[in-house]
Amino acid sequence: MGRYVLRRLVQMVPVFAGATLLIFLMVNVMGDPVAGLCGDRQCDPATAARLRAEFGLDRPVWQQYLTYMGNVFTGDFGTAFNGQKVTELMATAFPVTLRLTIVAVLIEVVVGVTLGVVTGLRRGRPVDTGVLLLTLVVISVPTFVTGLLLQLLLGVEWGWIRPSVSSAAPFGELLLPGLVLASVSLAYVTRLTRTSIAENRRSDYVRTAVAKGLPRRRVVTRHLLRNSLIPVVTFIGADIGFLMGGAIVTERIFNIHGVGFQLYQGILRQNTQTVVGFVTVLVLVFLLCNLVVDLLYAVLDPRIRYA
Amino acid sequence: MLLDVRDLHVEFRTRDGVARAVNGVSFGVDAGETLAVLGESGSGKSVTAQAVMGILDTPPGRVTGGEVLFQGRDLLKLKEEERRRVRGAGMAMVFQDALSSLNPVLTVGDQLGEMFTVHRGMSRKDARAKAVELMDQVRIPAARERVRQYPHQFSGGMRQRVMIAMAIALEPALIIADEPTTALDVTVQAQVMDLLAELRREYRMGLVLITHDLGVVADVADRIAVMYAGRVVESAPVDDIYKAPAHPYTRGLLDSVPRLDLKGRELHAIRGLPPSLTDVPRGCAFHPRCPMARDVCRTDVPAPHEVSATRAAACHFWKECLNG
Repeated sequence: MGRYVLRRLVQMVPVFAGATLLIFLMVNVMGDPVAGLCGDRQCDPATAARLRAEFGLDRPVWQQYLTYMGNVFTGDFGTAFNGQKVTELMATAFPVTLRLTIVAVLIEVVVGVTLGVVTGLRRGRPVDTGVLLLTLVVISVPTFVTGLLLQLLLGVEWGWIRPSVSSAAPFGELLLPGLVLASVSLAYVTRLTRTSIAENRRSDYVRTAVAKGLPRRRVVTRHLLRNSLIPVVTFIGADIGFLMGGAIVTERIFNIHGVGFQLYQGILRQNTQTVVGFVTVLVLVFLLCNLVVDLLYAVLDPRIRYA
Repeated sequence: MLLDVRDLHVEFRTRDGVARAVNGVSFGVDAGETLAVLGESGSGKSVTAQAVMGILDTPPGRVTGGEVLFQGRDLLKLKEEERRRVRGAGMAMVFQDALSSLNPVLTVGDQLGEMFTVHRGMSRKDARAKAVELMDQVRIPAARERVRQYPHQFSGGMRQRVMIAMAIALEPALIIADEPTTALDVTVQAQVMDLLAELRREYRMGLVLITHDLGVVADVADRIAVMYAGRVVESAPVDDIYKAPAHPYTRGLLDSVPRLDLKGRELHAIRGLPPSLTDVPRGCAFHPRCPMARDVCRTDVPAPHEVSATRAAACHFWKECLNG
């Protein structure tokens, strides 16, 4: 087990290097980073050259990359062009997005798995057909439509919630954004759980559990659900990384100052340091999530052993 | 009588129509007795067992008639909660394929201990101790260590011992074993069968042994019920049947067993295939395959005729068959 984790961590190094290099190159191709500094006006060539020298932008790209990576490992993600440290931006943005992700994942797990179990056990009945149709609608409608619609109805028309989230972004205000962010994954989790439950329901070990005289509740939760959740956990684990970085639309709609918001701002203002820094951390988050999922796999299914 | 099944009917509603899997099965088992239920696949023997246990998949399965009297109570009339309490505690079941029948993600100790925590309200610690005791009893070596292992870490024979341990956990009055040795190596088969017979003697349990293996039957059974197309066609003490079958189907089964003393001769097989359960032949269901069939067999369903006080055969010509 320990050796497996070590091997996986070592395997992460090339993936991490490759992914960050790609982002670094892409951001450099995107345009002149200095141009964004002078606002909407054209930069005066002398100032531009001075800035380039100051930020080391006059050196070759590979040197820039190595310098950057060297700095990253000492915890220095550089300075955004407005003078704020990128680490400072991260310190405010990541906790907000983390809270949003937690809300979204909780909704996915609680609502998605429950609906999946209910429909899986009643396949072909009206409840099942209804939920299935609903998931199809949720999957088909883009997030920004669902988001804006719910914001308009619940926030503006009926006034149940605040239409925009305050900068502190407490859990309470993140409920609706969390639901919007989770909606598509929620539909997938429901369908995945449903199929898995329906498949395992007829399995021999469930029949054994019934023959042992266990109460129905125990048969479902302890015997059926535990086996059926294996594919669902894989999906949710991979989804956490995706939710962390993919909240751009949701964070924009509800004005949440999280990772997605900062990334959007960074790209808009061609703020290279911000974009590269945030994406680098997201790559790490994604890789770690995948590792945790693989390890969780072995916990859920003892037939899988890593050596 | 410990278990008395009377005129049991089970059908399955499928897209291709109604499959009548069990059509009026009756049999009885006394305490301490071993009844072998014999028949080809599709004869309804497993479905009968599942209906008795109350673990039929419903839908599509449905018990449409009959009685299952267990210790004097009709199980079919009990509420689901009462019925659940009988399962595992009053009667238990051993399944064919222990690998798929045991939960892959729970330890053997958890699965055995569950019987005690759920039915007896024991603490997890006591239940674990009981699990070790049970594993010792079915002669699984190093029980104390292996109680923490998962089913896939056991060999086929050891897994079936775990299944048996689970069945005897609460010392039920009746065990239904559905082809308990079919999935095992021949050498292990005998060991598992011996263990089952020994435990049955020790606890004076009734045993319903569902099988298609005539060799197993001769060794351990007291009585035999032969099933064909969802009916019991012959039931008799084991010696009587082996001496002289009173139904042509039983005769066909006995003749199809390879015998050492007739080595080199052509093997005898019952011609034709078992009928489809959605389309059981009219009259005697066996008539299309029966060497003795006459006109009456195509129209009239034969009632079980009393051959002797302990023996019945559902054939119009049981006398002729008996006299060979």
